[in-house]
Amino acid sequence: MHEYAFFLGCIAPNRYPGCEASAIKTSENLGIKLLDLEGASCCPAPGAFGSIDLNIWYAMAARNILLAEQMKKDIALICNGCYKSIYEVNEKLKKHKELREGVNEVLKGIDMEFKGTVDVWHLAELLYDPEICGIQKIRDSITVPLEGTRIAVHYGCHLMKPKKERHFGSTEHPYWIEELVAALGAEPVEYRNKMLCCGAGGGVRGYDLVHSIDITNEKMINLKEAKVDALTEVCPFCQLQFDRGQIEIEEKFGVKWGLPVLHYCELLGLAQGMSPQELALDLHAVSCEPFLEKVL
Amino acid sequence: MARTKGYPETLDKKLADTRLYEDERHPDFTKTVEKISMTIPHMCFQCGTCTASCPSAPRSSYRIRKFVRRALLGLEEEALTDPDLWLCTTCYSCTDRCPRDIAPTDVIMAMRNLAAQRDIVPVNFLKTVQAIYTTGHGVPNNDVNRAARKKLGLNPEPPTTAGFPQYVKGIQYIIDYFGLKERADRIVKEREG
Repeated sequence: MHEYAFFLGCIAPNRYPGCEASAIKTSENLGIKLLDLEGASCCPAPGAFGSIDLNIWYAMAARNILLAEQMKKDIALICNGCYKSIYEVNEKLKKHKELREGVNEVLKGIDMEFKGTVDVWHLAELLYDPEICGIQKIRDSITVPLEGTRIAVHYGCHLMKPKKERHFGSTEHPYWIEELVAALGAEPVEYRNKMLCCGAGGGVRGYDLVHSIDITNEKMINLKEAKVDALTEVCPFCQLQFDRGQIEIEEKFGVKWGLPVLHYCELLGLAQGMSPQELALDLHAVSCEPFLEKVL
Repeated sequence: MARTKGYPETLDKKLADTRLYEDERHPDFTKTVEKISMTIPHMCFQCGTCTASCPSAPRSSYRIRKFVRRALLGLEEEALTDPDLWLCTTCYSCTDRCPRDIAPTDVIMAMRNLAAQRDIVPVNFLKTVQAIYTTGHGVPNNDVNRAARKKLGLNPEPPTTAGFPQYVKGIQYIIDYFGLKERADRIVKEREG
């Protein structure tokens, strides 16, 4: 069993608890144990905090990393926004002595010191990694194959970009999450401009909602053209933007899309036999029923 | 040939409004932006790949290329007081495509930091700070969610600062170290009463 400190963030536990529940349960079926990271906070939101003062962002993210250092466990998480804060700050503090000393000066006041002893992973990359889990193992764990469904992938931005500070290679046309989707028996579908942002990041969702959901709407137009049954992503904030965003798009632009949006962990949960109730899919703003009718 | 009525006057006015003079440049601004952003706007040759890659560009007057140029020319006032500064979704598409290895997104983040030092910052950013200061979460728990968590067999409060509020003190220490809560409260009050 591979053990990780599970960094929850905000939106998964507080808006889509099905993401949290399915991440824990499906991982366990695949030999990955996600342990509580007691006392973790918001990552903090890279757009909101990073824009105001990067030094506070470094220090706040470092505090979360240090909770895992105390547990002597690497961190696993399920949100791209959290990945940006936790992964990137961890790498930056390991690399830049001056930054690290600045952060440690702040953290001295709460008896903490960044040492750089753990690594940070997105659960999706752990699932894809054959040394940890891998496609075959996922395929073997499936009891309810999602056959006959067409699923598009939204990669989100902060998992793979900026590529210079990540390890995923080119961000122009990745395909590895589609492979994860195919492992569930579904047909992964590509669509125009799939690497386009969901529109929520950088504080724009709060600053100018219409601007923000107009970007989302562009994605919805491209997804509609590809005739997909559902959209999947690996970021609850993107999920919120696509899911609740569709309601906002209807209010502001008068367009109704009705496209179910599910986190990859939720899809994996369904394919491993979890019920929609066990995934709290009723909390989604856009009904998942049309998709569920096809698979269950 | 007849000129459009008022043509030279309006043109003069327009040019006077947009003309920038050497003494409006702050060379220190360029250095500060480079230091905070840890990137190299001075390498920019204004090709426009960044703006072409930008999801905000087609739906607003926000032009990332312009901001990189402002960083380079030291046009501090123009950069920091432009409301478009806050339309970057930080998607990093420009950064991944820049042929000069600049991170324009990080130039924007540095400029936002410098604007915030002058209290130029939209209130939604500050409200996130206030929420995190109180609960540790930018998006806090609520009763509907607690009930749903219970049904899933999860603890109604996640094992974060929500379930272990004793950890909130550490977060408040960090935010107070930078005096940010006080500033956020003051600015939000000034804007919203």
